[in-house]
Amino acid sequence: MRQETLWIILGMAGVTFVARFLPMALLSKWSIPERVRLGLEYVPVAIFSAIVFPLLFFDQTGNFEIQPRCLLSALSVFAFTWKVKSVWGSVLVGMLIYWMLGFML
Amino acid sequence: MDEPAWREGVKAATPIVLGYLPVGLAFGVLARRAGLTPPEAGLMSLLVYAGSSQFIAVEMISKGALWFPIVVTTFLVNLRHLLMSSTLSLYLNKKSLRTLALLAAQLTDESFAVAMSNRSKFAHGFAYLFGLQVTSQLAWITGSVGGAFFGGLIDHEGYGLPFALPSLFICLLVLQIRSPVHFWMMMTAGVSSLIFKATFSGNGYIVLATLLTLGIGVLIHRTGRKGIEKIEP
Repeated sequence: MRQETLWIILGMAGVTFVARFLPMALLSKWSIPERVRLGLEYVPVAIFSAIVFPLLFFDQTGNFEIQPRCLLSALSVFAFTWKVKSVWGSVLVGMLIYWMLGFML
Repeated sequence: MDEPAWREGVKAATPIVLGYLPVGLAFGVLARRAGLTPPEAGLMSLLVYAGSSQFIAVEMISKGALWFPIVVTTFLVNLRHLLMSSTLSLYLNKKSLRTLALLAAQLTDESFAVAMSNRSKFAHGFAYLFGLQVTSQLAWITGSVGGAFFGGLIDHEGYGLPFALPSLFICLLVLQIRSPVHFWMMMTAGVSSLIFKATFSGNGYIVLATLLTLGIGVLIHRTGRKGIEKIEP
């Protein structure tokens, strides 16, 4: 096992455990402030956006570039998930469209 | 009728197992594609055991990210466990710290949802919750290792596989958009991540864009603009 990978896994495990264990360990002596609760509400949407947008506008080498194949596939997945709330369906639609666009573009 | 509580927990885990096995398989395949070995994928599923953050880590590893940005991003993604853990703690009084640590380590969105639908069962003892969680995690680990193993046998560039992870993230993003405020949070995080990525080297752009969006989200609320419903865990 490579050392960098081991550090990644141990670090991820550590921070995740803290978030799971801390409130239980404090045994409800501490309730989460409303402000924090509210902030947590936006974390997922922010993180997924910050991952997805750069995937669509930067190429593999990290240069800004409009990539029609990625953009069209992404819009298809976006529309599909919006209409049909299915995770597996969305992943399959995305792969299929991306695969087909590979022949056309 | 008088089944041991842990076995009732195992049974209650059935729908979770059916969900975790295929997703675990997908994780394994994508982890292998990003260069992780089956033992590495298995270890991650054993020690981290948090789906979205594992998929995000795999994506970042494939882009060559080092441990620090990956760990900070994981921390942010998994902060939501604070909410579930604090809710569960209301039902877990008088348990030893060791028992709590064991239960906490295996807490996921799904096991939380199932446990909360059977509150009376785990209020009496932790055996029910334990059976439920161990069974669920076994399914996740089995899927991950299996997927990483089979992932070595398939063509990594074929069948649209390079777009599997982006599709998953787009889907998870869309499922998060529950109000116009969420939509504008998406635009804020998306556009700022593009700017941060173009400006700084490395993978810090995810964390930077998330923190910026978080700050704006809290500020908007302070100035009195409503539009956020109560969180359903």
